Amino acid sequence: MSIGGFIIKNALRNKRRLLLSVLSAAASLFLLVTLMVVLRELTKPPSDGDSSLRVCVRNKVSLASTLPQRQRSEIEKVPGVVVCSPFVWFGGKFKEDEQLIFGTIACDPEKLPTLLQEMKIDPAEYEAFVKDRTACIVGIDALQSDKFKELGLNVGSRFTVMSGIYPCSLELKIVGTYKGTIDDRNIFFHHKYLDEAMGDWGLTGMWWIRIDSAASMGPVNTTIEAAFANSAHEVRAESERAFQMSFVSMWGGIKYLIGGISGAVLFTLVLVTASTMSMAIRERFRELGILKAIGYQRRELFAFILAESFGLSLLGAMLGAGGAWLLYTFADMKKATSGFFVSFEVTTQMLGIAALIACLLGVIASLAPAIAVSRMSVVKALKTLD
Amino acid sequence: MTPIVTIRDLTKVYERGGVTVAALDHVSLDIEHGEFLALMGPSGSGKSTLLHVIAGIDRPDSGVCNVGGVPVPELSESELADWRNQNVGFVFQSFNLIPVLSAFENVELPLLLMNLNKAKRKQLVDTALELVGLADRAHHLPKQMSGGQDQRVAIARAIVTDPKLIVADEPTGNLDSHSADEVLQILATLSSKPIGKTVIMVTHDPRAAGFGTRTLYLEKGRLKE
Repeated sequence: MSIGGFIIKNALRNKRRLLLSVLSAAASLFLLVTLMVVLRELTKPPSDGDSSLRVCVRNKVSLASTLPQRQRSEIEKVPGVVVCSPFVWFGGKFKEDEQLIFGTIACDPEKLPTLLQEMKIDPAEYEAFVKDRTACIVGIDALQSDKFKELGLNVGSRFTVMSGIYPCSLELKIVGTYKGTIDDRNIFFHHKYLDEAMGDWGLTGMWWIRIDSAASMGPVNTTIEAAFANSAHEVRAESERAFQMSFVSMWGGIKYLIGGISGAVLFTLVLVTASTMSMAIRERFRELGILKAIGYQRRELFAFILAESFGLSLLGAMLGAGGAWLLYTFADMKKATSGFFVSFEVTTQMLGIAALIACLLGVIASLAPAIAVSRMSVVKALKTLD
Repeated sequence: MTPIVTIRDLTKVYERGGVTVAALDHVSLDIEHGEFLALMGPSGSGKSTLLHVIAGIDRPDSGVCNVGGVPVPELSESELADWRNQNVGFVFQSFNLIPVLSAFENVELPLLLMNLNKAKRKQLVDTALELVGLADRAHHLPKQMSGGQDQRVAIARAIVTDPKLIVADEPTGNLDSHSADEVLQILATLSSKPIGKTVIMVTHDPRAAGFGTRTLYLEKGRLKE
């Protein structure tokens, strides 16, 4: 028998309690990893490599304020700008629904392939999209969603979408699907069609731009902002990433809530593990007294308890954090969350944090019983026994 | 020949409910090598305290306690743990075996602290179990054996490191008379030649004390021959 074998035999002596303790640690760490993933999804929206080459230009006053279409020609002249497209968040919804859960975006179809170079679309379908003002293309995830299936919508179908923002509704024809973007749940349609429906509106919500290189980002943004400074429609130009992050700030309260829940989970986990270890050690107080009598030092007894507590916590972490990784890596979380979360990724950093927490947990939970045992008088232990 | 245990003027006082009780009151005695000493006396007479001080698991308030020339009370906690591992074998009334370990593993426990390889440990454990007549029960758990057999495993654990001194606190207190006789016979054998270990046993039972080579009586912390 080795010292390790002795520790394992001790840990396994009450299998039901061990199982329950490991499962409680596993459940807590699973929940913790899940909360970390949710927090990451909310605070760091997914992006692809090209997002550093896209610029969003919006009204400086507020996102709700529009911009005149005449700005487009000025923007296209800025050195570094490759293409510029209007971008209107239509806020579309089906007639019977409160809110469409997919993004409905008005843009310039001819610029879309350059803007979203990662977008994969059948050339014939793209051609049909460009030619027909009432056409739209739908992300593959939207088309395969329960909502689209429920409404029987497919390529070739027509549907009416009402705006939750603008006073109009549009009848759109699905002429194709796309995939390959970071979020294949959007519906793209012609900005010109929206412009007509709004009575030659002459406005856009934003400008969506692709630049020639990441190095151009600063100069392009500065030049565009300067071009419309002191005009009736001053603009704010920022990278697509920065634009997305401005939405994240709206999640501030959620972040604190998730942080609070994570703290509560951790605190509970410490209490459960500490309680388990205390019970386990209290039951074995006499045996530990005997070990001390036959020559085991304080440090060795301390190490026994620490190793057992550590083992319990790490096993819980392997099951909990490992289980979360397996589930979120191999399950279709986009579908499971009805498309709310696009990439539900457990990062190595999260696994590292879970392992670190498990290690700290092992130490903290074992401290009180280990100190009690190291201070234990053999005589007092024997008197309790005999 | 120099005694293995030399005790001079040993005093130990306890506070119990605000009352001071002298567990050991200026006790002096010598114990020779190979002696099987029985310590008798009424409950609270101080016999277990004396045993604990000699074995290095308790410290006196004053006085001298040398075991094998080592001033035991003067050792640090860490030194005491090492000293106990190498010099003292413990046998308790309630056996105190680890229930999840087999007889072999229980006996092996003190050896894990020594720098011995697996083969050497096995040899020592087999010898100790053979000496107590339990070689065939090596892989049995404590609950699979009788009380007498458990106590013999405890004796094997006590002698496996080849200590000079074996201390036994009421070793037959939980045993039937047949098992008690077996245990006492083993302790007597250990103390006699050629093994020649020194055995100090606390007991209430005069019949058990009869197995010893000398009996001392303690009353209110004082020795009475």
